[in-house]
Amino acid sequence: MKVRFWGVRGYVPTPNAAMLRYGGNTCCTAVTGDHGELVILDTGTGFCLLGDELMQGEFGRGRGSLTLLISHTYWDHILGLPFPGVVHIPGNRLDIYGPESTRGSLQMVYDGMLSPVYSPVYGLAHIGATHRFTTISTEPFTIGRLTARALPLSRRQHSPIWAYRLEEDGRALVYITDARYGEEGIRDEAIAFAQQANVLIHSAPYLRDEQVEDYGQSRIEDAIEVALLAGVEQLLIFHHAPTRTDDELDAIVAHFRAWLAAQNSSLRLIAAAEGMELRV
Amino acid sequence: MRVRIWGTRGSYPVAQANMLRYGGNTTCVEVIAGERHIILDAGTGLRVLGDACKQNQASLQHLDLLITHTHWDHIMGFPFFAPLFDPMLRLDIYGLARTQSSLRTTLAGALSDPLLPLTMDDLRAQINFFEIGAGHSFELGPVQVRTALANHPYRALAYRLETPDGILTFIPDTGPFHTVLFGDERIEWTGQPTARSQSDLRELAAMKAAILELAHGSDWLIYDAQFTDAQYARFPHWGHSSASQAREIAEEAQVRQLILFHHDPHRTDEELDRIVAEQQALAAPGLLVTAAFEGMELRRKL
Repeated sequence: MKVRFWGVRGYVPTPNAAMLRYGGNTCCTAVTGDHGELVILDTGTGFCLLGDELMQGEFGRGRGSLTLLISHTYWDHILGLPFPGVVHIPGNRLDIYGPESTRGSLQMVYDGMLSPVYSPVYGLAHIGATHRFTTISTEPFTIGRLTARALPLSRRQHSPIWAYRLEEDGRALVYITDARYGEEGIRDEAIAFAQQANVLIHSAPYLRDEQVEDYGQSRIEDAIEVALLAGVEQLLIFHHAPTRTDDELDAIVAHFRAWLAAQNSSLRLIAAAEGMELRV
Repeated sequence: MRVRIWGTRGSYPVAQANMLRYGGNTTCVEVIAGERHIILDAGTGLRVLGDACKQNQASLQHLDLLITHTHWDHIMGFPFFAPLFDPMLRLDIYGLARTQSSLRTTLAGALSDPLLPLTMDDLRAQINFFEIGAGHSFELGPVQVRTALANHPYRALAYRLETPDGILTFIPDTGPFHTVLFGDERIEWTGQPTARSQSDLRELAAMKAAILELAHGSDWLIYDAQFTDAQYARFPHWGHSSASQAREIAEEAQVRQLILFHHDPHRTDEELDRIVAEQQALAAPGLLVTAAFEGMELRRKL
């Protein structure tokens, strides 16, 4: 598996010169399997850039196929979807997996997001690519030769948030975002889910001592604790705060790397940046 | 009247080095006239405006937010506007009255689970909603406000703000008025003009006349110029104009300064420089052609 980050900012895109090195687009991560499976984790505005690149290949001719794994439907994870040409070209295929809310199925949430008060698309029916929605559960499923599993990260049934684990040939990548570790049992379940992952991508916008409204998010220290307890090799933090400059993020990473070194931990900590690529 | 532009981009925000000079935040314009503080549209530029107020420790007591329409790029900054959580702020929100959904319901729906975990009650500011129509005229302190309908999918409002020392007209999203008439229904482009009945053509002509009247004699006309002429030819059913279409409206309305706006998310700074130069070369004498950039300030020269 190969990973590439297309959007790493949380909450809202940040077009700001002091934040361009890590990047200002919201959450979108692409995973490519060794046999060419294309899996996209969330479609924030980073998906608009990815979509532009995909247009150069099979997708531009209406012969592309991709799988979207949606963690949840907050703006910074879905609003990039309707813009790229790839979703409007007939013949392209979108397989969309995500959680169901008690307020409506994933399909209904997307249809609402694209309704004419919010979007010139006028609803899902006008998305030209063939699209199929699948509600996720904790049952494993396959995407080509990849095995996928999902885990709920919140007990709020009307606003579900899920994690994904992708495996290929014994290598594992885990994607955890917006986890509500304040809720009973969630942290332990996440640790079990991320066990021995080669790569853990974890949202971590703020530090524990920052007084901010973050919608109940996990903090940077949470991500590190979960990674350590799960025996993860590499932790990539993302969903960076919209106020965080590149230099501040460098300093935060340096601080925690020093702390990890002092603990004799072999965990590799990296702040994800737009355009960053790595092999799992 | 002092005007400052906080967001210039259309469709979605962009964070790219070669677009930062004109800016990557979506539509938001601030107008200060006397004691009155007015904001046009709540794109992601609104978040930056709110953070700037906090940094300057400017205490906001009363704001008027005039929304052209509620497509995502025009409301995407709303929940990230820090003053929303200040109980001392009174926020009056104006927007197009629709039969299908109230302005309050539309905004509340966008903010609440499962799209975001907020409710209107979480917004501590005292918020009032005013639903208005086209041709509406009202006063906000020293500012005379008028509206007209723009030619955009599912309709949008255009605003004119007038004081004795400045006239600003804001038309961030509109197609031209000859090919496609937008209403409630989505328009599929068949390669043929969709406005062919006499009544459609009359409605388009009336819409154009109202827009020209709204913009007439403005010091500043902020106008949709998302497309190149080539893009417009391919996507006339998307409800945006090209820079040359914007210039023609500015000329007919006899405005002093045209401010190209709602930049396409693919448009680089250099392309915009070139577009401005091309349109200035074609412009009628007396018309200044510019393109909106983040941080642009407008004030009538004394």
